Amino acid sequence: MAIDGLIILDPAGRPIIQSSYSCYPTAYPMLHIEALNNALEKAPRGGSVDPVIYVAELSCSSACCHVEVGGMRFLATISEDADPLIAFAFLDTFIEILHDYFGTVNLATLKDNFDIVYQLLEETLDSSGHPLTTSQNALSDIVLPPTLISKLLASVSPSATGVPSGRQGGSFGLTGASGAFASPIPWRKAGVRHNHNEILFDVVEDMRAIVGKNGMTLVSNVFGKIESNAKLSGTPDLTLTFTNPSVMTDCAFHPCVRLQRWTRDNSLSFVPPEGRFILADYQYKPPQGAVISNVPIPLSLKANVDMGEFGGTFTLTLTSRSMKVMENVELELYLGEDATSAQCTLSSAGSGVGSVGSADGSWSFDSRKKMLRWEILNMRSSGSWILRGSWTSKIKAPRPAHAFQIRFEIPSFSFSSLKVDQLRLSGETYKMYKGVRMRSKGSLEWRW
Amino acid sequence: MSTQQGQDAKFFQRGKIEEFRAELQAAEAKDKKYQKRKTVLKKIVANITMGNDMSPLFHDVIQCIGTPLLEVKKMVYLFLISYGRSKPDQIHLVIPSFLQVSSSNFSRMSDHSNVLKDCNDPNPLIRALAIRTMSYIPIPVVTESLSDQLRHCLKDRDPYVRKTAAICVAKVYTADPRKAERKGFVELLRDMLIDDNATVVANAVAALSEIGDRQDGVIFKLNLTIANRLLAALGESSEWGQIYILDSLLRYVPEHHSDAEMMAERVIVQLQHANSAVVLTSIKALLYLMNYMENRRLIDYICRKMGPPLVTLLSSGPEVQYVALRNILLIIQRRPTVLKNDVKAFFCKYNDPIYVKLAKLEIMYRLAREENAREVLAELEEYASEVDVDFVRKAVRSIGRLAIKVEPAADKCIESLLKLIETKVTYVVQEAVIVTKDIFRRYPGKYEGIIPTLCENLDALDEPEAKAAMVWILGQFADRIENVDELLDDLVYNFLDEPAEVQLALLTAVVKLFIYKAQSEVTKALVHKVLKWATEDIDNPDLRDRGFMYWRMLAMNPSVAAEIVLAEKPAITTDSDRMDRGALDQLLLHTGTLGSIYHKNPETFIRNAAGRELVDSPALNANSRAVLVSLTRPQLPSTAISVQGPGPIEPTRPSLQPDEAANKTPQPILVESTRSDERDLLDVEGDDGAGGDSGDGYPDGDDDVAVVKAADPYAELGGAFGGYTTDAPQPVKGGGSRSGDLDDLLF
Repeated sequence: MAIDGLIILDPAGRPIIQSSYSCYPTAYPMLHIEALNNALEKAPRGGSVDPVIYVAELSCSSACCHVEVGGMRFLATISEDADPLIAFAFLDTFIEILHDYFGTVNLATLKDNFDIVYQLLEETLDSSGHPLTTSQNALSDIVLPPTLISKLLASVSPSATGVPSGRQGGSFGLTGASGAFASPIPWRKAGVRHNHNEILFDVVEDMRAIVGKNGMTLVSNVFGKIESNAKLSGTPDLTLTFTNPSVMTDCAFHPCVRLQRWTRDNSLSFVPPEGRFILADYQYKPPQGAVISNVPIPLSLKANVDMGEFGGTFTLTLTSRSMKVMENVELELYLGEDATSAQCTLSSAGSGVGSVGSADGSWSFDSRKKMLRWEILNMRSSGSWILRGSWTSKIKAPRPAHAFQIRFEIPSFSFSSLKVDQLRLSGETYKMYKGVRMRSKGSLEWRW
Repeated sequence: MSTQQGQDAKFFQRGKIEEFRAELQAAEAKDKKYQKRKTVLKKIVANITMGNDMSPLFHDVIQCIGTPLLEVKKMVYLFLISYGRSKPDQIHLVIPSFLQVSSSNFSRMSDHSNVLKDCNDPNPLIRALAIRTMSYIPIPVVTESLSDQLRHCLKDRDPYVRKTAAICVAKVYTADPRKAERKGFVELLRDMLIDDNATVVANAVAALSEIGDRQDGVIFKLNLTIANRLLAALGESSEWGQIYILDSLLRYVPEHHSDAEMMAERVIVQLQHANSAVVLTSIKALLYLMNYMENRRLIDYICRKMGPPLVTLLSSGPEVQYVALRNILLIIQRRPTVLKNDVKAFFCKYNDPIYVKLAKLEIMYRLAREENAREVLAELEEYASEVDVDFVRKAVRSIGRLAIKVEPAADKCIESLLKLIETKVTYVVQEAVIVTKDIFRRYPGKYEGIIPTLCENLDALDEPEAKAAMVWILGQFADRIENVDELLDDLVYNFLDEPAEVQLALLTAVVKLFIYKAQSEVTKALVHKVLKWATEDIDNPDLRDRGFMYWRMLAMNPSVAAEIVLAEKPAITTDSDRMDRGALDQLLLHTGTLGSIYHKNPETFIRNAAGRELVDSPALNANSRAVLVSLTRPQLPSTAISVQGPGPIEPTRPSLQPDEAANKTPQPILVESTRSDERDLLDVEGDDGAGGDSGDGYPDGDDDVAVVKAADPYAELGGAFGGYTTDAPQPVKGGGSRSGDLDDLLF
């Protein structure tokens, strides 16, 4: 159950920051870095390297788990009877923490703040591989975020040496820190105060679907998330109820949610953490007994692709089936390693007024990724858009992908029509501002 | 990056030791708010993180340890962690700073370097930091001084200190196990299992588990009371704490079915956790507890409950998906009802990384059965037209395996393979030929009509495996292929240059041909030529021996030779590519670990891993017991210390020592009677689900066979998942009798 340590590599594969592998031979981290770099080099196309790479060199065999963020590689080395999933969960958490501290995660910010990153590493991962404090609330007390440090530096004076005043570290949040750890609720520190109390919920539903050649939906899943942002004083105990909780199936909750209450009466009862967090994940499944068990897809694509020698022609028709306006509709087709160029014209049809123009969309061909991309920023309900074109290829029998990748967004809409009934607050007396927003998006694979 | 001139980026230049030393000394004189020291130390730490050796500064840096500024202190500690071990002769200089020298007067010391006695600092963060740093330095003089301090900290009033101290015990233990035991640290840790603070409990569990996983560590087992208390702490733990606690449930051996069942019901709730590692650890605990249950309906219910969270894991990033998929592959072999109806969740997307696609493909094949064979086949055909060669090959091969596994789908699969052969894409054709050979064996006399089509593509075959498969087909059906002698004659043209695999196939094929057409002069000449090559010009002993054997058989008694060479082959099945059940049971104890990724038990490929075994108890179900794999712990501590749970000792379950548990002989009669009850229950309900499962259920060989196999579970593991070549269909074992009643894997 142990993560040996964490290494951050720059885009060239050189280590920037690594945890202290004090219990390991000096070559140990290097071997893992090499194993990863070798695997990346061998990979035909970037990214398709096994996420768990077994390192057999040295007498102790281990593995490295890696993810890519902002061009850098974060790799966690694990050995013994370790769980790669814990490594990945930890990497995710750590990267999330970096985001919270620095806003963005890139080479420059990490180098500028290496001392904070290093401290974070020491606080979050114990040298024998146990993740320690990863809760944002507690961490910000032990390791000061960069903005706070600069503010405090001016005001702090080192108090009389050696006198155990207890107040000495106060301005460094030290007493607060013990407060955070002493708090019976690990995700929330005691004594938070806000002048303006509010909690916002963003319900985001994400459709993932595969549509077969014949236009029939093979698979479609809708994964929902309730993202929350809480700025509430004290210890607020909230109860969130829905008018139609049954649309949420296979739920997974933030640790703050009382699971027993959900099981009993389908209400979410919780003391929220401060700031942003994901309250719940769920899956939306259409009611049992429906003729079509798949969630209907809010657009349709008619694709005529004719493959010729050294290229081909296509006519693609996208039609909105949504009652709402769809935004940022994006269609991609990989034209094959040997594709050289593409030429297209855009037009739109149906529901009258549409005219050819930039407002209706744009297309491009990425000659490096060999990707044809078609974007429609704003797609009104039941309109049709057409892309006609051709592409050329270096080889006689071109091999484009047999699937279009389509992404879209629908603001103020949810597939499940999940509806919040009410949000009750107990344990505190103040009034709070409450807000709920819906948003949907999707990524489809449309085969032809 | 050169454009981004960050404030600290300049520290990344290679540091100069002397410069830093001078700066540190300068800082001693006039250092307002310790800012100078802080800046220098920051540079030094920056150099450490880059892997530059800063150890010559040891003496200078430790002078700063008394600085009453947390940031400075932290950096000194970071320095100590990096170099403390390599400076055993100087480390004693630091120890007084950590320690309180006299408990009555800890607040002020005259010597400036020993200003703060950090282990007794009023600030819990500093207390914790001090013991944590010390425990990182595995030098006897440090460990020695740490002992007393650690004991205090384990009972500190502040939970942050206690939880840190708990982890430190594991490190002290690593440094010297026997000494840590003598000093009573293990017992202290044990007492923390009933701490009020959930985080402390979780860390105590983590430390005890780490100790228990060592080959030379004390055995860490839980009794029912403690296991229940740990479960109660779940709700307030962080996700990491939950993982430790859930994982530790595998150290609890249920004595009664009801204990296991009650516990599982409390674990099921955790499947709703957002953290993927928590979910998978919960599943591991459930899979374990199911071994000790008898309530069939509950087991069924749990299996159903496990499916959706596993599918949800597939909506995560590709890395998590990959780990999840490898585990799912194991889980569905042992518990086929999990995800039984969810094959669609494993359909590959074009944009999936190749490692995800390959893992999904294997699961799709495992989940395929008559009801979904059409959908699965349609998907496989789709994949066979993709671009990635590796993926296409495996898709084609999966089509063939599907034909072998699901008889009603075989016709469609063959059609599809023929279509693929028409594409003339060489690697597609080769894969198709390889699987077709197995299909011929599985369905003798049914599909030989397609042989001419195969023969047309003979020239496309350039890979040994495909070539060997084609040669086998030619030899086996030599009586039905008109121009077979010509074809074989062409093929043996390069006999001496072929790889051994093809040579062996050719040798056998020409012998078969000769037996079919003994009159033909062409054939005679051909077989003579090949036998002569095999016995005279070839160095490979296998080939030579086989050549001699055929030659003599043909010379002594051709009719007996015919009987032997053309003997009826046992039917083949794909069921036996499933792993041995005993090994599966054991592997599933490692769900979510490296072992489950590589499908090997960790102790077989990772040094120092203690391994896990399913422990026998009266509650263990009979089928699991029959294939039980036991481990031997090679170096048990001579003075075995068994750690009992705190609180009252339960009279009925004292078996905390494994020896005792093992000596407890289960009562066969009791187990037998419960088993027959279950069967009755099943019959009353008319539950055909179990029968339906039997199609892809565990191939129920002789019980004896199973036990013998279980003795060496690793023997088959290497091959079982290595690749599709070793995963090929195997002859049916045990006479092919697959009776319905023991078959399903519920128990």
